[in-house]
Amino acid sequence: MIRFLTFSGLLALLLTSCGTYRYPNQLGVRNVNTTEVNTYFTDTAQAFVYRARVQAFQKDLNGNLLIKTISPETHRIALVSDLGQTLFDMSIFPENHVLHFIMPDLDNKRVAKEIAFLFRTLTQRQFSQKAITFSGKQAFPVYVVNNAYYAFEERNLADITSTKGKQELLLIHFDSIKQAIPGRIDIEHKRLPIRISLALDREQSEIRTKPIS
Amino acid sequence: MMCRILYFLLCLLPFTGFAQMQKMTPNEITAFQQSLKQVAEIKTLAADFVQYKHMSFMKKPVESSGQLFVKHPDRLSWSYTAPFHYKMVFKNNKIWINDEGKKRTIDLGNNKQFEKISKLMATGMHGGNYDEKEFTVSYFKNNDEPVVKLIPKLSEAKKYIQEIVLTFSKTEKQLQEVKLIEPSNDYTRFVLKNKKINTDIHDSVFNL
Repeated sequence: MIRFLTFSGLLALLLTSCGTYRYPNQLGVRNVNTTEVNTYFTDTAQAFVYRARVQAFQKDLNGNLLIKTISPETHRIALVSDLGQTLFDMSIFPENHVLHFIMPDLDNKRVAKEIAFLFRTLTQRQFSQKAITFSGKQAFPVYVVNNAYYAFEERNLADITSTKGKQELLLIHFDSIKQAIPGRIDIEHKRLPIRISLALDREQSEIRTKPIS
Repeated sequence: MMCRILYFLLCLLPFTGFAQMQKMTPNEITAFQQSLKQVAEIKTLAADFVQYKHMSFMKKPVESSGQLFVKHPDRLSWSYTAPFHYKMVFKNNKIWINDEGKKRTIDLGNNKQFEKISKLMATGMHGGNYDEKEFTVSYFKNNDEPVVKLIPKLSEAKKYIQEIVLTFSKTEKQLQEVKLIEPSNDYTRFVLKNKKINTDIHDSVFNL
């Protein structure tokens, strides 16, 4: 009996974890011309200061998130508390990250890896050659890159849904977009109790005065 | 002629930027410490502050400002008014927070930075007897402004703060700037302005 239960438990686990995520109303996937998705943080002349509200593991924290584009695929990201204490400061590359500083309370490999994954998904430029086809009428495209879905509204990237197996892993929503810069960003981790709300502080950010022609 | 000018400028170098921060002599340290003891009469302090967070990869510091109220022996109100509203009150060994209407309480032990600042404010206000078990203390003068440098001795504190630099005013010997340098060399500077000493501060300032 125990062997049967163990086997069925393992089978259930395998079936749920090995499935493939299906985007809401998805019919299939079609090939498209190579399209650049997530271009918000590609300009190396700009640096952004976002007012951050973080809810993580039943703790609240306010501060500033600083984002500097080193290259379209590399970003320096730091979270600083209201009192000026640096919580973490890291360079995020496509495949790895380098910690410049992390507060001792957060200094754990898994935590650092998770932070890097979260902000890599937020900032990294991607190229897609696939888009979703829908069963109903869909006005705006949704592009696919590996396990992530990039949904557009008008000409702007509105949502990133990162998935693992059948499950959503990370949801990022961009809002109040002006001059190709999101004024608001909401991030929700679906496996860990982490929510982050970001509001752009235009005055303190290093933003080009004129949009790139 | 050009060589002479260059030689003259080179000779001047030690007296310019490099020479601005000088170590105090033992006599100067004693005099400074005595002047701090006279400041021990301070019962209340009200001031505006500007906070500058410097990160090596950002061109300009991230700036915020607010108001500070201290009432001897154990009350401190620290509120940001720009670019956001956020008030912290230190009393009964707890931090009471009002985050744009959302109120909560946290233990002081959970916020090392705030703990350090409030302790330093209190020490700066009451004679400047820095805990030499906790810090290596050294005294400097920068354009005649007294500067105290505190280097943490305890390994736990060293993980958060590499050095604390306190700058006092030339004449009244009052604390006017606190600089907290992190192990990464990034730092936060708190500059105090419009200081009012021993004025009446209503108790309601220390409520949320």
